[in-house]
Amino acid sequence: MQIDLSQLSWELLAPLLLLLVLGLALAAAGLSRGRFTLPGYLGYFWIFLLICVVTDFFSFTPAVWLMAIVSVRAVREYFSLVDLRIEDRWGILGAYLAIPFMIYLIQIDWYGFFIISIPVYAFVVVPFLVALGDSEGRGSLMSIGAIDFGLFFFVYCLGHIAYLAYYSTWLVLLLLLAVVACNVSSAITARRGRLPGFVLSCLITLALALGLRSWTSMATGPAVFLGFLIPVLVQMGNHTVGVLERDLGIGAADIEPGRGRVLDCLKSYLFTAPIVFHYLRWTMKFGELIQRHGN
Amino acid sequence: MAIEPRRLLALLLHLLVLRPLLHLVFGLNVRGRENLPSRGPCILAANHNSHLDILVLYASLPVRLIVAAHVVAAHDYFARHRLLYAAVDFLFKPVWVDREAGGGGTLARMSAYLDAGESIIIFPEGTRGEAGQLGDFCGGVGKLAADHPDVPLLPVFLRGTERAMPRKASLPLPIWQHVSIGPPQRLVGESGDITAILRMSILDLERSEIASRHKRRPQRHQAFVVAVLGIDGSGKSTLSRRLSRDLSAAEHTCLIGDSLELFAGGGPRAAQPLLKEKLRRWVSAQAKDAKSLARYKIPKLTELLLRDALLGEARRWYGPDLIFMDGSPILNMTAWSILYRSELMSAGFCARAIAILCGQGSARDPLFKEFPELKVMKRLDLTRLAIPDAVLFLDIPPTVSMARIRKRGEKMQVHETEEKLGRLREAYLLVVEAAREHMGLPAFILDGDRDPDSIAAKARRLVASARTAARGNKA
Repeated sequence: MQIDLSQLSWELLAPLLLLLVLGLALAAAGLSRGRFTLPGYLGYFWIFLLICVVTDFFSFTPAVWLMAIVSVRAVREYFSLVDLRIEDRWGILGAYLAIPFMIYLIQIDWYGFFIISIPVYAFVVVPFLVALGDSEGRGSLMSIGAIDFGLFFFVYCLGHIAYLAYYSTWLVLLLLLAVVACNVSSAITARRGRLPGFVLSCLITLALALGLRSWTSMATGPAVFLGFLIPVLVQMGNHTVGVLERDLGIGAADIEPGRGRVLDCLKSYLFTAPIVFHYLRWTMKFGELIQRHGN
Repeated sequence: MAIEPRRLLALLLHLLVLRPLLHLVFGLNVRGRENLPSRGPCILAANHNSHLDILVLYASLPVRLIVAAHVVAAHDYFARHRLLYAAVDFLFKPVWVDREAGGGGTLARMSAYLDAGESIIIFPEGTRGEAGQLGDFCGGVGKLAADHPDVPLLPVFLRGTERAMPRKASLPLPIWQHVSIGPPQRLVGESGDITAILRMSILDLERSEIASRHKRRPQRHQAFVVAVLGIDGSGKSTLSRRLSRDLSAAEHTCLIGDSLELFAGGGPRAAQPLLKEKLRRWVSAQAKDAKSLARYKIPKLTELLLRDALLGEARRWYGPDLIFMDGSPILNMTAWSILYRSELMSAGFCARAIAILCGQGSARDPLFKEFPELKVMKRLDLTRLAIPDAVLFLDIPPTVSMARIRKRGEKMQVHETEEKLGRLREAYLLVVEAAREHMGLPAFILDGDRDPDSIAAKARRLVASARTAARGNKA
């Protein structure tokens, strides 16, 4: 997309400015050699912001493939953490190949196929590949379950963020800002239990959803509902992945590269992305929405 | 340091191509980089699972070592592919070993490199072994380290290569690579011993690496320990035996009293004899025959310590679900110490004494001055007694207990007088209070003067409720 200076508005510039500020903060954190660290949930926030900016200023195609990189990194760490066997190599390969398959379907906006790409096709192919590589079968059920679980959450669920960007980057931004707001408010009120943090995150999300209505072009009713839906889903995702992290032996204190860093960054988005996407798709009738971005 | 152009090109290839590629495709996490010596030669010994091993290892080394390190590589394997041979020769400056020809002269070449201040990287397994299993080590590394006692030997454990690209696989998969570099070791002695120690230290690294990756483990079976307390003649032996027998209908129970007995299915169960049990019985007999309190003290203390040790043995060898102890060593000891120094009586004192006896108290506690025995026990590391999970105290007036003891017709022990038993009873009440108030243990007082059936029924209820509460706490 050509950038027309006369069309520049705050609507377009806000994500870019946010990205620049966050980029500076990340660079400062990197240069400070550990004296100053940013909270984990900001780790992948900037990539999602970048996806929005690239979609706005260039085109959707490179943006959606950025999402593929995020997915690869997430499942790579997940596969390294879970106890997969040597025999599962074919299954893991199949899981990796499912990423470009799904991303391409998002790129060409084939919604009907995208929505069944992983739950039908990948979930049929992966067990077959695991079975092909395994002649004895000891532990193959666990392996299939583990691979499918990772594929579902870290590729399929996250992929919805990219699809949402296809319809409207401001819907993605609303989602991102709400997720960060939920995490910030539960971090601030951590000492007082969960309820105050939850109430605060509901209030902030509600304010965001209502305040950004002119840019998200959402009706008031759905915006109010979203204000409650997002905090609930963020809490659910954080709690679920928190339990999984404990099972995988990832303590909050010893998160290292390759040992839970990516999973920790992405946990708030896993539940939020698909459900908010489908809720918006249903209420805003995306099929009829004027699409601002060409393929 | 001057580097010849060929080396410089190889270094640039390592830093600008191979390292970023590894980070991009697999992801690399290095632990213990600080263990690498900042100067001088060293020997790095790593486990070997995959062709990726050497690339991963080089990607985690500093420039200083990349320039001046030589890998021990099998000539007979790489010579089969001319291009691969040339690439390996250029990138890693290997010390070629011909495994089929017996490897003569290799050791001398490695020694020459070490003498020249360059380092050696070696895979002591000699070949890519079974994926994820540390194979047997060849002796060469031991000989090399024995010849160069001043050169540090560093164990390295690589994890991830065996899954990313195991033997027989042609396509690498993106899986994180974890490198753990162990602390440098300077080993002296026989080369065989050095090889064995090196293998142990690599296994140690593997263990700590596996511990950081979580493995599902079944919860360890933990027996619930109930201590039945009471002065002599209160009926605690009768009650604990009865409880062990009654509750054994559904699970395995164990009674540690004057003798060690096991119960299952409502009746006694045979058990392998334990040496400590025999020893304890003999010491116990000595205590019972003692003529004075002074003579009584040491055998009684020994008996209590052995009884505590027996609890561990019973847990280990018999694996019961429920253990009843006729008296608890730690609580009895505390109560008896009050008997000797009655001016110290208070629940707070009991709590402090219990804390010291189970190894949690402060080493500067003034109690150590009051009881020199405690100091000796601490020095002998005998202050790690087990705390029971629940306490039942059978309360009975000393007059009743004396009447019961006389009725038994056994020889009277030295402390079995009405006055002493009265003081002991008060001491036990304090201990129970300390256990309940200061340690949060479920501790109950039962009226020992009632009929045995109702006591046993009440005790069963209390034990059941304490177990449910303990399970709730754990969850």
